[in-house]
Amino acid sequence: MEKKNRPNKFGSFTSRTSETTSSPRSPYSPLKVNQRSESDTLPTLEEDELHDHDIGQVSEDIDRFTDALSAVDDKSDPPEVPDIVETFSRILDSKIAKYNSGESTTRFFKMTEEDLLFIEAVRRISKLTNAFGEFPSSSTTTSSHNRTSMVLQRAMTFMEDEFRALLEDSWSSDSSSTNLKPYSSFNNKQEGSDRCAIPEIESTGDHDEFPAYPPEVLTKMNRIAAAMVSAGYETECCQVYTIARRNAFQEQLKRLEYEKLNIEDVQRMQWEPLEGEVARWIRLVKYCSAVLFPGERSLAESVFSDSPSLSKSIFSNIARAVAIQLLDFAEAVAMTKRSAEKLFKFLDMHETLRDLIPAISESHCSEEWEKEMASEISATLDRIGAAAMNIFCDLENSIRNDVAKTPVPGGAIHPLTRYVMNYLKYACEYKDTLEQIFQQNSKSEGEENLQSDQATSSPFSAQLLVVMDLLDENLEAKSKLYKDISLRNIFLMNNGRYILQKVKGSPEIHKGMGDNWCRRRSTVVRQYHKNYQRETCGRLLQCLSLEGGLLVNGKVCKQVVKERFKNFGVTFDEIHKAQSTWVVSDEQLVSELRVSITGLVIPAYRSFLGRFKQHLDNGRQAEKYIKYQPEDIETLIEGLFEGNPLSMGRRR
Amino acid sequence: MPATDNQGSFLNRISIRRNQVVSMDGGHEQELEDLDLFQKHVADRFSDLFSQPPQQPSPDSSAESPAPDALLSISWLRKLLDAFLCCEAEFKAVLVMGRDPTQFSKPPLDRLIPDLLDRSVKALDICNAITHGVELVRNWQKLAQIAVFALQQQPIGEGQVRRAKKALNTMLTSMTLDDKESGHGKSTERTWSFGRRGGGAASASVNKDRTAGGHFRAFSLSFAKSWSAKQQIQAMSSNLVAPRVGEPTGLALPVYIMSTVLVFVMWALVAAVPCQERTGLATHFPVPRQSGWAQAVLGLQEKIGEEWKKKEKKGIAGVLDEMQRMEKAGLWLVEFAEAFQFPMESSKADEVAAQVAELADVCRRMEEGLVPLQLQVREVFHRIVRSRAEVLDVLDQVGKLTSPVPY
Repeated sequence: MEKKNRPNKFGSFTSRTSETTSSPRSPYSPLKVNQRSESDTLPTLEEDELHDHDIGQVSEDIDRFTDALSAVDDKSDPPEVPDIVETFSRILDSKIAKYNSGESTTRFFKMTEEDLLFIEAVRRISKLTNAFGEFPSSSTTTSSHNRTSMVLQRAMTFMEDEFRALLEDSWSSDSSSTNLKPYSSFNNKQEGSDRCAIPEIESTGDHDEFPAYPPEVLTKMNRIAAAMVSAGYETECCQVYTIARRNAFQEQLKRLEYEKLNIEDVQRMQWEPLEGEVARWIRLVKYCSAVLFPGERSLAESVFSDSPSLSKSIFSNIARAVAIQLLDFAEAVAMTKRSAEKLFKFLDMHETLRDLIPAISESHCSEEWEKEMASEISATLDRIGAAAMNIFCDLENSIRNDVAKTPVPGGAIHPLTRYVMNYLKYACEYKDTLEQIFQQNSKSEGEENLQSDQATSSPFSAQLLVVMDLLDENLEAKSKLYKDISLRNIFLMNNGRYILQKVKGSPEIHKGMGDNWCRRRSTVVRQYHKNYQRETCGRLLQCLSLEGGLLVNGKVCKQVVKERFKNFGVTFDEIHKAQSTWVVSDEQLVSELRVSITGLVIPAYRSFLGRFKQHLDNGRQAEKYIKYQPEDIETLIEGLFEGNPLSMGRRR
Repeated sequence: MPATDNQGSFLNRISIRRNQVVSMDGGHEQELEDLDLFQKHVADRFSDLFSQPPQQPSPDSSAESPAPDALLSISWLRKLLDAFLCCEAEFKAVLVMGRDPTQFSKPPLDRLIPDLLDRSVKALDICNAITHGVELVRNWQKLAQIAVFALQQQPIGEGQVRRAKKALNTMLTSMTLDDKESGHGKSTERTWSFGRRGGGAASASVNKDRTAGGHFRAFSLSFAKSWSAKQQIQAMSSNLVAPRVGEPTGLALPVYIMSTVLVFVMWALVAAVPCQERTGLATHFPVPRQSGWAQAVLGLQEKIGEEWKKKEKKGIAGVLDEMQRMEKAGLWLVEFAEAFQFPMESSKADEVAAQVAELADVCRRMEEGLVPLQLQVREVFHRIVRSRAEVLDVLDQVGKLTSPVPY
């Protein structure tokens, strides 16, 4: 940025009498400046004449005159204007001309003392001009007023250009290229200012710091802004600043690969590419909440540190334009055709947007802007929320419409169960957000759960229960597809167990469904187990019953014993053959089932065997009718529910 | 959002009334009556807008300020948006409230509703472009304000005159650039092009090369590059077909009326407010001459169309009443500033004061009107979004979710 060194550019201010004692009023000390280099001068002004003046003395005189002017009560009677006014005007003119003749882009290389002097001088001339302005137009001061206001205008034009150059150059040299090297939190380096450390943000890669201006540039901008505002050039100053910063903000968005999409374009996009845009948007909004907005705010605060109200309105202007742009995208996405897969991205957007609100209210912006933005954001939040809620409620219809014609082989967990439960589990990771959304949009149509003892705390929990009940109904209907009652119960057990485990495995769903619900479900699942047990073991135990002609008048009927043993073997084979192909994927459930069969069948078989084996004629007969020893049964039971149609053959 | 609440209660009232009536004497007559009422209200509202005396601003006699709601003035636009919001609420009541959803899946609605939804999406993009355009006008207003502030000081000296000239030059340059560039496909790179030094003086600036690059890139991101207001309006109006006379039209008529109102309002906004790519904007679109409700719309269309033709012919920057006045006074004052010598001739003083007063009046109206206008455009935006959602809800009920569970 620095092109060449021109140490003497403020020569005209310092005068040749460098030993002058400074006036107590002037805020600067006398300067030790090298000899003026003649090459610097402009031929347009009679420099030599000017340099016969001591700037300190001139300033002091000007201040005195300004005070005197302001003190005049009768504004129709202006005092005589001393020559010093013209001299001072010329000094400034010459200085501005010299600045303007420079070739570098930022002509205030460093905020040297000379530059500070210039700014002081500009303040002085603006004060003087104001004092002149209080006198009527026909008075003797008019031409002096004209003179000083012209100088002031030149100075302001120069400052405006300077301000713009600083705003644009110091920024764009950092951010326009790919190798962004952000200055570390500029606001910490600034003198006496330790406000608002920029919060960290994750997942924005290497863009996590606000690309700030170097501290010395900041100081310069602050001085220029203060001078312009105090001279009444506030509007110009704000315009330059706002436009430059708006552009810079857009640059930032561009760097984050944010591309503005029209609402119509968004409607036409496939979900897959749009999902990518949404992800980008989420990153961007997070970055805005955490870095860009706070950074932009504290930048405005440091540049316009003298006028907090100005910095607020400037920041709100910049932020508003960006925020609306971001909101429009969210609106556009929320308007797209809804589908189940979009739910989680919508909820992500909802949460991201919600977190944007504190970035705005923390900023202590003017109330008007806060109100407008808050209502804009909440309108968009409502829309995304409503869309998310509708998607979630669509699950109801999807379940209702899922009518299967063929049962799942082996009574295994139905894909619908898996889908719904995983969807719910994932959705419940957003439980707080969903609760909030449901609360706001809670349906008036009376779809509430009416079971009094299940009275739920929230509309979302109610919706969860509705979904669960529907799923139950649906599974109940699907279970009817199994002709085998044992298998039907296995199916119900499998699915019921899966649902329970999913609910218990997720604290959020668990909370949503409540303990009572879980207890009730466990009971129901146990009932399925009992039904199964009764059905399967019942058939076996029937063979081992003492009823049914086994004892005739207290005598054992051998024929019946033979039949019973034979039937037992056949029945068991049937059960084993069938149930080995059944599927129980939950290990614990498998072992529970096996234990419960073993526990019922084995003791009964053992005692039957012990009591009636002797009634078979001999060893040969025993071998013929007693196919299995209790130990064999036990082993075979271990092979049930493997879901393996070959297990029988292999074991043989 | 206050708008939401109002609307909600309004619709509720209507729905209650409708339900009561329907339950008393069958729906059909009531429906016809509602339709008549809707047409009548559209006609009334637009006649109101039309009957405002379309007074031309005359800066030469600016002691007499033009009517506050002259055609295409900010306050007129606000009335137009008000009228739109009212018509829209009523339309929705006719279309959605108490309606048997199956009607949406039968002719003619099955064909008309998708068109309606498509048009409303296009209207949303236009609303956004307008919001952006109003923002631009607000910036011009600030520049004009600088000039007013400078020239209201007494006495007027060279400093004040130069200050005013600089600001006005920047304003005028930006106005022309905006208008010119938006016609040449460069629109995305335009808009926030406020010259470094204002107007032609920019070349004097130290780094003129960057001036162009730095300022012209500007707000390019706020709109997709290919978007064109002109084409949007064209697309919105191209499939506007009036239901054939003599046919039992049923709901086709209100849908057609509302669509025409929507297209008209968007068209008027695009004409009035700076907007991406609007050169060659159509000056009219078909409106049935014989219908009572359409008379005022037609009249307005003609007037605005004339204004637009004038604009394109004369090369002035805007059709918005205040912008025209601003441009005119601005040009006059710049000319004055070019020739200015201190001290000002007293003969000139009155004339300058009059122009400054004119500019001040425009600034005041903009100050009062632009932010509310912007908010109102947002309100229209939100309303359209909401209505679209409501119509989709009805459609949902018809097609009651055939989407299977994607397991």
